[in-house]
Amino acid sequence: MLQLTLKQNPPVPLEAELISPDTLARMSLDEIRALPLQLGKHRRRLDEFFDISGAPGLELKLIGDLSRVKWLGRGMSQGRIEIVGNAGMHLGARMKGGEIEVHGNTGDWLGAEMSQGTIRVRGDAGGQVGAAYRGSVSGMKNGTIIIDGTAGLEIGMRMRRGLIVVGKRVKDFAGLQMKGGTILLRAGSEIRAGAWMVRGTIISLAPLPLLPTFATSCSHNPLFLRLLARQLADWDIALPALDDQGTYDCYSGDSSVPGKGELLIWRPRNGSTVQ
Amino acid sequence: MRNRADLVIYWGGNPAECHPRHFTKYALMPKGKHLPRGRKDRTMVLVDIRETKSVKAADIFLQIRPGRDFEVLTILRAIVKGQYVNPAMVAETGLTIEQLRDLVDRMKRARFGVMFFGMGLSMTRGKHMNSSAILTLAAELNAYTKFVAMPMRGHGNVTGADVIMRWTTGYPFGISFDRGYPRFNPGEFSTVDLLVRGDTDAALILGADPGATMPQPAIDHLARIPTIVLDPKVTHTSRLARVHITTAVTGISAPGTGYRMDEVPLPLRPALKSPYPTDEEVVRRIHELVRVKPDWLVHQPRTTQQVF
Repeated sequence: MLQLTLKQNPPVPLEAELISPDTLARMSLDEIRALPLQLGKHRRRLDEFFDISGAPGLELKLIGDLSRVKWLGRGMSQGRIEIVGNAGMHLGARMKGGEIEVHGNTGDWLGAEMSQGTIRVRGDAGGQVGAAYRGSVSGMKNGTIIIDGTAGLEIGMRMRRGLIVVGKRVKDFAGLQMKGGTILLRAGSEIRAGAWMVRGTIISLAPLPLLPTFATSCSHNPLFLRLLARQLADWDIALPALDDQGTYDCYSGDSSVPGKGELLIWRPRNGSTVQ
Repeated sequence: MRNRADLVIYWGGNPAECHPRHFTKYALMPKGKHLPRGRKDRTMVLVDIRETKSVKAADIFLQIRPGRDFEVLTILRAIVKGQYVNPAMVAETGLTIEQLRDLVDRMKRARFGVMFFGMGLSMTRGKHMNSSAILTLAAELNAYTKFVAMPMRGHGNVTGADVIMRWTTGYPFGISFDRGYPRFNPGEFSTVDLLVRGDTDAALILGADPGATMPQPAIDHLARIPTIVLDPKVTHTSRLARVHITTAVTGISAPGTGYRMDEVPLPLRPALKSPYPTDEEVVRRIHELVRVKPDWLVHQPRTTQQVF
């Protein structure tokens, strides 16, 4: 396993898209030390900012407060990155496979436009998780993003497929313009969830302020939730899906688009508590 | 607009006080080819959260609750398409469904509709999505009639900055040239966000006063880093800047081009002479000095001996 420890906090954002298992696995330690990183407008060597130890391979461990380090693991297709500390913007953006685990917080654009792979964040994430870049047609196309803490604005913006799970309350515009995929909000969101959604599913385990363009459709426990619950059990996340626990109030919208998205809001049976 | 716009909607702005000539010279009063009676041939709708002086000039005033602009615009989009909206939740916006249906009806019947939106829309909760909502609504109304939406800009020539950035880089604002080519990402590269996060180690302020308008963390960061201000007068930003260069006032003592709110360029001829250099001259002289320095992108030595 290759271990990179941040020596000093960069004075301006450091763009480190080359720090990904795909690039580093094939290189010698000397080559890795000389890899270029973009510090503001200047190009710098990797060993100016990181202490390097271990042997190059598909496993990568990053240590330190990397909240100013952007584009880590961009477009990675295999291997594993473990970050002990915070990570900056665009972590795992456009990733095609592999796994990222963060023991800390991350910046905006986490897993933006990713097409495969798994990201797990133990702390909070910023906005635009799994979103589409400005001007881009669709956000994440597949893969899984699991955030234990909170998340910011516009998570899952224009996402097409895949799963986003957020543990704590997220800010406005969750699932903005989404066209597929699933967002699970375990503690609900602030206003405007599901705005302009065309398709896809937003599941909330806490009450959610609705937009006026959503219509009540029914109350039920969709079967696919049992499959989702089984999948989430691998990550120790409980999702109620059985009739004796309660039901989901289903709302469809957003009629302004007009869309066929669904918002499922959990209503526990009296006395039953989840989480 | 002067000749054809028979429905004028102001959203989240107070033109009577902030753009006093807008009614008389531009949007409401002028007599046009297809609107021979001027004001009498137009309908004016004002949407705002409070009664301002502009209400007197409006035919219809729609008072909405603060922070509900996005909801109202989204409802309008649904009504335009004849889709369902929840009437009970429409009431939470401060308007009734009948009022909104009437507005949509007028929009569709108009021969040429215009929506002007102010900071009350674009700077409240939702920000760029509120602007996006009104622009999308205008785009969708073009399925029925001609409709346009235009922002009501605040300070002098902000439109000019947008226009120039657009034709030189392809993007209007929030652009980074770090890598030698323009990259656009508002939120990541827009000025307020950069300063609040402390992501810059120098700042050149030209024709703006962020020290008076930006949030406190941004102002604190401007005071921390070397900040250079080019302005005809000493501003709040100048007081916390390392360098202030007094320049001539464009349009009064320096020539140039100003862009009107609707992106019409106007040549400015100076009436007075100024002892100070123009903004352009200062920037050009700084640029000449920067240019003799080695190019950091092409001749980048891959060593560790570089200084910040």
